[in-house]
Amino acid sequence: MLRKPPIIILLCVSVIPTSAGVLAALWSGLDPAALTRVLATPGVGLSIASSIWSGVIATGVSLLLAHLAVALAASGGWRARLNGFALPLLAMPHLAMGIGLALLLAPSGVLLRAVSPWATGFDLPPDWLIVQDPAALSLILGLILKETCFLIMALMAALAQVPSAELQLQARALGYGPLKAWLAVTAPLLQRQIRLPLAAVLVFGIGNVELAIPLGPGLPPTFSVMLWHWFTNPDPLINAQAYAGTVLLLLATTTTLAFMAAANTLLTRLLRRTAESGRRRSHDGFARGVARSVLIVGWSTGILAIAAILLRSAAGPWRFPALLPGGDWLSRWLDVLPVAGSVAATTIGLAVATALCGLLLVLPAAERCRRDRRTRAIVGAWLFVPLLVPQMTFLFGMQVLLVRLHLDGRIVAVLWSHLIFALPYLWGLLAPARATIDPRYQSVAATLGATPLRTWFTVTAPLLARSTLLAFALAFSVSVALYLPTLFAGAGRFATAATEAAASAGSGNLRLASVHGLLLAVLPLTVFALAYTTNSLLFRNRRGIPR
Amino acid sequence: MLAGQRTGRLLRVLAASVVLLPQVAAADIDEWETVVAEARGQTVYFNAWGGELAINRYIGWAAEQLRTKYDVELRHVKVTDIAEAVSRIKAENAAGRGRGGSVDLLWINGENFASLQRAGLLYGPWVHSTPNATLIDWQGNPTTLSDGSMATGGFEMPWGTAALTLFYDSQQVTQPLDDPTALLQWIEAHPGRFSYPQPPAFLGTAFLKQLLLVLVEDTDRLQRPVGDDFAQVTQPLWSWLDRAHPSLWRRGRLFPLSGPAQRDLLAVGELDWMLSFNPSEADRAIGQGDLHETIGALHFAAGALANSHFLAIPYNSSATAGARVAANFLLSPAAQARKANEQFWGDPTVLDTDKLSATQRRLFDVLPSGAATPPTPERFLAEPHPSWTTRLEQAWLERYVR
Repeated sequence: MLRKPPIIILLCVSVIPTSAGVLAALWSGLDPAALTRVLATPGVGLSIASSIWSGVIATGVSLLLAHLAVALAASGGWRARLNGFALPLLAMPHLAMGIGLALLLAPSGVLLRAVSPWATGFDLPPDWLIVQDPAALSLILGLILKETCFLIMALMAALAQVPSAELQLQARALGYGPLKAWLAVTAPLLQRQIRLPLAAVLVFGIGNVELAIPLGPGLPPTFSVMLWHWFTNPDPLINAQAYAGTVLLLLATTTTLAFMAAANTLLTRLLRRTAESGRRRSHDGFARGVARSVLIVGWSTGILAIAAILLRSAAGPWRFPALLPGGDWLSRWLDVLPVAGSVAATTIGLAVATALCGLLLVLPAAERCRRDRRTRAIVGAWLFVPLLVPQMTFLFGMQVLLVRLHLDGRIVAVLWSHLIFALPYLWGLLAPARATIDPRYQSVAATLGATPLRTWFTVTAPLLARSTLLAFALAFSVSVALYLPTLFAGAGRFATAATEAAASAGSGNLRLASVHGLLLAVLPLTVFALAYTTNSLLFRNRRGIPR
Repeated sequence: MLAGQRTGRLLRVLAASVVLLPQVAAADIDEWETVVAEARGQTVYFNAWGGELAINRYIGWAAEQLRTKYDVELRHVKVTDIAEAVSRIKAENAAGRGRGGSVDLLWINGENFASLQRAGLLYGPWVHSTPNATLIDWQGNPTTLSDGSMATGGFEMPWGTAALTLFYDSQQVTQPLDDPTALLQWIEAHPGRFSYPQPPAFLGTAFLKQLLLVLVEDTDRLQRPVGDDFAQVTQPLWSWLDRAHPSLWRRGRLFPLSGPAQRDLLAVGELDWMLSFNPSEADRAIGQGDLHETIGALHFAAGALANSHFLAIPYNSSATAGARVAANFLLSPAAQARKANEQFWGDPTVLDTDKLSATQRRLFDVLPSGAATPPTPERFLAEPHPSWTTRLEQAWLERYVR
C-alpha cells in the first residue's frame, strides 16, 4: 500500500489537515479558565443535553425507518426504485431542509395556512412553540428526514455484500412475515456493515449547526450553535470559551459514540434473539401499512419543505391565513436575480472544482487497489475520519493553523476543506465500482496490444462512466451544502449559497434565507438530473454499459 | 520591532482620544490626490452585516461606482454579526500578522469599536484627512463624536445616524402607545403579539437600553460606568420585563433572532410589532412590497435611543488607501442621499445639509417620505456607558435562559 503514490497522496490530502486540526483545537482548547467559564454559562448543561438528545433520538429513529424502508422495498419489489425516492431528499442540503421545514411547520407556515381558517378557525396564527421548540422535536424531525435517506443509501450499498434475496426467501419459506424476516435475518448482517455511516449520522446530529440554526431550540440553543455564537464574539475571553467548548463537544460526542457502539452491538444481538423465539409474525400487513404511511408522510414533508421555500422566496407581505402570497411574483424574482447570480457562480465554481479535484485524486487510487479489498476498506475508513469528528472541533483548529500559514481566505484553503468532506463519498462510490469491473476486459485489450493508458480510456472509462458521473454529482452536492468549512477556511470571503443562507437564517430573516435556500436545493438536484441524462445520452448506442 | 509599532499605535490612540472635539481642518488636497492614486487597482474587503437585501444592494451600487470612478474594487464580505470580523482581526493579530490582514474596511459601532480601539487594532486617525468628513454634522449630532461613551477620535467615520423606532400594525394597535406603561398594558391585553429581538442581538439589547433610559429616574447614572448598584439601578427594567414576558410571543420562551427576523414575523402576521434603528425602514419595506401598508410608527415620548454607525479600517489592512477612498465616496452627498432614500435604504444622513451646495442639498430635498415614517423624535437619548451593555446582556441571559 505504501508503494502506491496515488493512495498515499489521497490519504495525505484528507488525514493531515484533519489530524492537525484536531490537535490544534485540543491545543488551544485545553484552557482550564475558559472551561470553567463555559461550564458557568447560563443554560450550558441544558444546551449540551439537547445536542446529545437530538442526535441520539434522530439517529435511532432514522436507523429504524431506513431498515423499514429497505425491508418494504425489498419485499414489495421496488428495491430498484428506492434510491430514486431517497435521492431528492438526500441531495437537498441540510440547511435548505431546515429552512424549508421552518417555513412549512411554523404556526404561520404553509401547512396551517392550507387548513385555515375554514378548518381551524384561526384568523391569526396560533402562538404555538412548535418550530425551535425546547424539546428539539422539530430539529429531530429535520435530522430524521435527511439521515433516513443517507442510511437508506448506506444500507443499499451494504446490501450488495449480503445474499439478502436468498436469505429472505429462506426465512419466508420458514413462514416468517416480510418484516420479521428482514429484522431477524438480514438486518443484523447489514448492521455490522453500516457502522461508520451510522456513527457519522450521530456525530452530525450532535454537532451540526445547519439544521440547529433554523430548527433548534432558542433559549438555550444547542451546544454547537452556542459555540458558533461564541466564536464570532469580539471578546477574546469568549473566543477562548469557543475553543474550550469544542473540546467539550468532542468529549460529549466520543462518549455518546461509545454508548451507541455498545447499544448497536446489543441491538444486533437482540434482533438475532428475536429469531430464537420462533414467532413468525407472518401476518404483518398492519405493521407494514403503518411503516409505509410513516415513510410516505415523512417523504412528502421533505418534498413540501422545498415547495415552502419556493413560496416564501417569492412572497412579500404574506399575511396569515392566505395560502398563496399575493403581489407580483415575477418582479420579486427578477429583483433578487443579480444577487443570487453571483452567489450561484461562486457556489457552482467551487463545487465543480471540488468534484474534479476529488475525481483526479480518487480515480487513480481506486485503480491501484481494484484487486485489494483490504486496502480499499482501510483507505475508506481513513477517509471517513473527518465525518466522525465534530466539524466544529477540527475546523476551529484548522482555522488557527490556516491563519498561521497565511492561507485563510485563499481559494486553495476552501477547496481543500471541501475536498476533505467530498473524498469519503467519492471513494465509497468509485472504489467498489472500479473493483467490480471484470478484469478480463483489460486482459483482452492488453492482448490486442493496447497500452495500459489506452486500455483505461477506451475500456475502463466507459464502464466507469455512470459511477463517475454520479460521483461527480455527489461531490458537487457535498460541496454546495458545506457551510462551516466555507466560513472558516474562507475567512468569510466566499459567498456561497450555504454561507448566505446560513447568515440570513442565523439572523432569522427567512425571506432572504429562502432565496438562497432555493438555490441550495435546486443546484444539487439539477446536477444529479444532468448526471443521469448525460450518461444515457453518452452511451445510448451501446449495450452492456451500465446506465 | 512589532512591539515598538504596537506601543506607538497605542500612544497615538491615547493621544487621539484626549482630543474630544476633532479639528475639522480642510483636507490637504495634494495629499488626498496621492491617496486616490495609491488606491487605484486596490481590492477592498468591506466586512459589513449582510442580513438585509436592500443594504446589500446599496453596497453593490457603491462598489460599481467605485470601480468606474476610482478603479477601486469594493468586495462586500457579508457577515452575520460584525463581531465575526472583529474576532478575525484579533486572531490575525494573535498570529502576528501585522500586514495583509483579511479585512480592509468594517461597518462597526459600540462595543465592537471599543474592543478594537482598546486593543490598538485600528488604523488611524484617518477620518479628518478625508475630504467629505468636513460635511459631517459634528456639532449638531454628538453621536458622531462619541460612540457609546467612547471618543471616535478619527479612527471611525460616521456613516449614518439612527433612532430606535417602534413599528406596529395599525389594524391591531389602535391607540398611540408611546410610553412603557401603555405598551405593557397592550401586551397584557394581546398575549402572543409582541416580542423583541433576543439579546445580545443588536436591536434586542437596544430595546433593553431604551426601556432602561425611560424607566430609570436618574439617567445621568447610566452615563457613568456600571458599578455595584447594577441590580438596584436596573430594577425597574426587570420588573417591566418580568410582567411582559408571560404575554410575549411564544410566552417569552423564544425570541426573533434579529430585526429582519421580527419584520418577517410581522409580514406573515405572527407579530404586530417590530423594532428598527432606521425610522424609514417600514416605508422602504412597504415600497418594496415586503410589508403591508397598514404599518404605523412611533418613538417613546420620553425620547428615542440614538446612535451612529461608522466605518473603520483595521491596522493590518493592506489596502488602506482604497479603504479611505471608499469611505470618502460613501460619505459623499450623492452616496448619502441615495442611502437616505427609502427606495434604496432609507438610513438618515450624517451630513449637515447646511454645509452643502444648493445642487447637493436638492438631492436631499427631493427624497420621498412615506406615512410609516415617524416625525423626528422629541429627544435623542444617548447610549448608556458601554459597560452597561455587557452587564445587561449577561443579566438578561441569566434571568431568562432556563
